[in-house]
Amino acid sequence: MKAMLWVAGGMYLVSSGKRVVFVAALIVESVYLALRGTELGRLPLIGPHDTLVFFSTSIGLLALPFIYSRPRKGTDLSWGIGIGAGLFALLALLFPSFAMPLPPILKTLWFELHVALAFFAYALFAIGAILGGLFLINNERSLLDLQYRAALVGYSFFSASMVTGGIWGYYAWGTYWLWTPKELWTSILWLFYSLYLHLRLKGPSWERLVAWGGIVGFALTLFTYLGVSMLMKSSHSF
Amino acid sequence: MLSGKWHDRLASLNLGLWLMAGVMVLLAVGSFVGGGEGSSINDLPLLVWLKETPITAAWWLWLTIALLALLALNTILCSIDSLRRKYQKGNLLLLIAPQIMHLGFLFIALAHLFSAWGGFKQSMVVREGSVIGFPEGAQVQVVRLQAVFSPKGFPTDYSGELREVTAVGEVQTISPNHPFFLHGFGIYLKEVQLYPEPAALIEIHWEPGAPWALAGALLFTVGNVVLLAVRRGK
Repeated sequence: MKAMLWVAGGMYLVSSGKRVVFVAALIVESVYLALRGTELGRLPLIGPHDTLVFFSTSIGLLALPFIYSRPRKGTDLSWGIGIGAGLFALLALLFPSFAMPLPPILKTLWFELHVALAFFAYALFAIGAILGGLFLINNERSLLDLQYRAALVGYSFFSASMVTGGIWGYYAWGTYWLWTPKELWTSILWLFYSLYLHLRLKGPSWERLVAWGGIVGFALTLFTYLGVSMLMKSSHSF
Repeated sequence: MLSGKWHDRLASLNLGLWLMAGVMVLLAVGSFVGGGEGSSINDLPLLVWLKETPITAAWWLWLTIALLALLALNTILCSIDSLRRKYQKGNLLLLIAPQIMHLGFLFIALAHLFSAWGGFKQSMVVREGSVIGFPEGAQVQVVRLQAVFSPKGFPTDYSGELREVTAVGEVQTISPNHPFFLHGFGIYLKEVQLYPEPAALIEIHWEPGAPWALAGALLFTVGNVVLLAVRRGK
């Protein structure tokens, strides 16, 4: 089954602007994710392997409106996003795919919503970073507008993820907030994108800084997702 | 009333940006020096913890609270200014949606303050037949504890049956994600073991900020959805 992930990752990497290859990679990866979910009997959202695949698929899926909103000649975007989605798909292969029973505390819709919404947000932040990089290279204003859309929708998903996480926490642990590294970095990431959205109000002279903001935001996203989970002790650790 | 100069400073976008950046830096520092999940910070109401913890260990949190208080003031003043300046000048929904989000943020900050002031948490080990006492004389008895384990010994499901002793109450079942609420207190089942005799780790929580946090979250979400709807295609 993991061969499908190799294929999807490879196709993303070589899609280099061919949107049809990108879409084919997304379909293969989605089938892998669906099979994995069927095997587990739930959404595969636990552990580095499953979450990286979910993240990569989210990037591919949520990139579609952005890729297809660009003129056909603008293949740089699907190339950049293809590399991003491909690398995360291949990174997932470095980690074993467990099939352990779900701890009782995770058997709730609030958990699934909390995690899935967070990964949709992370995916949009990744897309925003690529758009920011392309803006800094091409100086094309439409790219910055697309970055803003990605960040705003990503921020909305992320806020909803925090709300559902708070509700889950209240029913699971008796509190909507715990002082743990993951919660702190989640708040940092949320504040960062709040800052990013407000920074845009400063006007056109701040455009390059806004573009950089999208890139730095994704670096923070990666630390919140992978860095905190792997390096710091938390209930969200892998 | 604030003088014009102070008002302009406190209501400036620049101040808001710097305050957000400052809170981020302090929270990042706190994530490394705060002691993590095992820290007693999660066992006590925050204000009690702050009172009992030396300033050398809690300085980052004191500063965070100070900056958040300023950020809350900045948010209120900016929202009022924005409503004043843009009222009747454009799309009302576009004007109001961000302010509803700001209001949601303020409610959530207030929720943290209420929980920090009056929150309560207590852990205890109980057995079948144990009685848990609550303020104002209410009592709850643990009737039965159950658990299911996988062949490898992982708990896959567990639950407990509780009965209010002091009232003609039905038996209530608690399990992970399904606490029992009694007079505002939440009774949470954390762990169950069956041998040598059925016993459970129970936590009692009182979270006075929870309704405010929920109200804030709902306001924020409504404002966010409206903002997305009115910005669609722009």
